[in-house]
Amino acid sequence: MPRSLLNLSPRLRPLFFCAYLATQLFLLFRAQTSPDLVFGFQMFNASSQLKISLFRKVRRHGRTRVVSVRDGEWQTKDRSGTRHTHRWQDRVRYRNLSTLDQFVHAAYGLDAQLFRLQYALDDFAQHLAGDQETEALIAEVDTRKNGREVGHVRLQADRR
Amino acid sequence: MSAFGDAWRRFFAEERDAWVLGLLRLAISALLFFNGLRLILELSNGGYFADYFHIPMLPEAWLPGRSGYQLLLGLQALASLAAFIGWWPREALLTASSLGLYFLTCDRLQYHNNRYALLLLGFLLAFTPCDRSFSLVRGREHTLPRDQRIAPTFARRLFQIQVSLVYLGSTGGKLLDADWRSGLVLFLRFADAPAISAAHGFPLPAWVVGILTSAWFASFAAKAAIASELLIALGIWLPQTRRLSLWLGVIFHVSIEFTARVELFSWLMVASYLAFVVPEVRERRFEFARGNVRAERLARLVALLDWCARFERTPMSSASDGAAFYVTNREGRRASGALGLAQLAEAIPLFFPLWLPLVLYAKLSARPRSPSPSPA
Repeated sequence: MPRSLLNLSPRLRPLFFCAYLATQLFLLFRAQTSPDLVFGFQMFNASSQLKISLFRKVRRHGRTRVVSVRDGEWQTKDRSGTRHTHRWQDRVRYRNLSTLDQFVHAAYGLDAQLFRLQYALDDFAQHLAGDQETEALIAEVDTRKNGREVGHVRLQADRR
Repeated sequence: MSAFGDAWRRFFAEERDAWVLGLLRLAISALLFFNGLRLILELSNGGYFADYFHIPMLPEAWLPGRSGYQLLLGLQALASLAAFIGWWPREALLTASSLGLYFLTCDRLQYHNNRYALLLLGFLLAFTPCDRSFSLVRGREHTLPRDQRIAPTFARRLFQIQVSLVYLGSTGGKLLDADWRSGLVLFLRFADAPAISAAHGFPLPAWVVGILTSAWFASFAAKAAIASELLIALGIWLPQTRRLSLWLGVIFHVSIEFTARVELFSWLMVASYLAFVVPEVRERRFEFARGNVRAERLARLVALLDWCARFERTPMSSASDGAAFYVTNREGRRASGALGLAQLAEAIPLFFPLWLPLVLYAKLSARPRSPSPSPA
């Protein structure tokens, strides 16, 4: 007869059972307050869309300006004059967020994608090696919640 | 000892036949392998996830390095294969599912409910005696004799509860959302279907487009989806509604598989229904007329597809009765013809989608007649 370490003793079985169930119920209820409903088993929860437009806050000649980022790409020169190309899609490969300037499906709902977008902006802002002029990244996001025009959200990530 | 205490002890001491759990292990370990294979392909085509934007749920320092990740992915694939062939299958299942859960927490962007459900079910299955049948490494003796297959199956209950929780989580979110209840969410999904279908070279007929883009259909579909999930989540616990709930679940997931991209979800949930099959085997009988070509063919088909070992097959002498075959179910009801086929379909996984149509056909076409007595 096969022996296995996973044959729990009669005393351990109730402990395992209760611990597993308590963990699952905790995660299930906690998911309701999580923006991306992670561990919540909420499938097909929305038919929302979002359109992300990317901008940079730059400092030129002592003045701060907001410039549009076309196709997610821009070029800068560092102090030594070397040219650097920065591409949003090179760093952010997650499909829902890598598409710019057109409406795309917001998987798991708008809150989920806005939550992830903030992380993406923060991440990208920390990976702009050689960019001396960008002070912050800004995402202007148009949202449609289940087909209705809901509005506009502005997210920003400052470079530290 | 109180009644509750007795029930509690009985629950954790329950020992049942582990035949079907071995079959479930084959299905879950194959799905775990394909899930791991996807990660391997993503690594080879798209690169190491931590080199790009990711959202770890763990501290960044706990993430594996590139070579460590490659190693763990290889280990996960091997563990899935080992679980499939039955080489230390329970430990292998635990390894493959635990590694998968670890990968899931390494990057929140990779989280999908179907992947999480698969990993949890793989994890729980490791605590069941799923190693006592279908151990392919044992060759012809892949399944232990019945007395050695009887083992504690409390973790099977946990597996069943987890399946219910998947449906309850899903339907709960929909019930609380007014846009879902009204059908608006589905209406927008359906509205895209004609364009998507045309883009794939299959333009839908105008009348189908008319139905798909109508508000009443979306509203009906939304309510039907919520009711179906609720019935599956709760109905599988009651013997009276279990069969209908499982049938509804199969139809529900087949329709999802054809209309949405859900990775392995449909396969997973349909496979998980094996945990709700009565564990005891050979409690039904299939009798077929010896010498009757059609009956013998059907008998061979039953032998080939009776993966859950539901039937004891016995040939009958052709003189015993006019019918080519008889199927006796667990309740002792002996039937032939359409009803007999329905009783076959209810116990054979591949035929199960035909069960309700066959029952309805048998009921509608039945003429009043006296039932055949069971010879037992």
